[in-house]
Amino acid sequence: MTVETTGKKSPDTRNTGPGRLLIAVYAVFAISATARAGYQIATKFADAPLAHILSAFAALVYIVATISLAKPGRTWFKVSLAAVLVEMVGVLVVGAVSLFDPVAFPHDTVWSLFGRGYGFVPLILPVLGLLWLYRRRPARERRG
Amino acid sequence: MDGYFYAVLIVGLLSTIICVVAGIMKKTPNDVTILSVAAVELVLLVYLVGSIVRVAMGEKIAGEPWEFWGYIITALIIPIAAVYWSILERTRWSNFVMGAVGVTALVMAARMNQIWY
Repeated sequence: MTVETTGKKSPDTRNTGPGRLLIAVYAVFAISATARAGYQIATKFADAPLAHILSAFAALVYIVATISLAKPGRTWFKVSLAAVLVEMVGVLVVGAVSLFDPVAFPHDTVWSLFGRGYGFVPLILPVLGLLWLYRRRPARERRG
Repeated sequence: MDGYFYAVLIVGLLSTIICVVAGIMKKTPNDVTILSVAAVELVLLVYLVGSIVRVAMGEKIAGEPWEFWGYIITALIIPIAAVYWSILERTRWSNFVMGAVGVTALVMAARMNQIWY
């Protein structure tokens, strides 16, 4: 199948070894964030629309990260990278804003207070994700 | 917190410790780690049956009932999914995946207790 990538080069996948644990944790967050956002929007959206839209957005990011990490190939690598970067920016920005302006985020989202409500896993996860993506980055293409 | 929570707490933590230690010792998923996850599933099944009986006997769930049932059904799927995902690739990392089941079940059981009471 991948005759040209024999030898020491690992194939262009991220769903083996430690990647499986990463995908499993992302999947748990995708499920819980989706369920929580769905529940918040269905029952008390008007209380804090911004926080609940953010919850839904976070859920979407986790879903995209889970799926893209499980898929092989260069395109999915880029999708993973984008999702994990968005996740990292999200948890840092939302974490900081929720710290300084609790009024804007009266309802906890996954990323509020740097994911304190989730044992700070949302803060650690993108770091591990980026490390893993770096280790499994696709081989550089020939220019031209 | 009721007996169900403490059962999930004990079995879940035990399962997580067994799986993580096996992973650190570079073992691939074996009977012991898979059975420890099966034990978590069993406790959750007892929780489900017990909860159905309690509701049938006329006990009221304080929070949103459908939220409670959503949690317990999701919690029941997670161990099965983890074991399936682990036996597809039998490396030591699959033990860490199964190790995540116990703590996840524990967190979900805590939330289920909050909803119930």
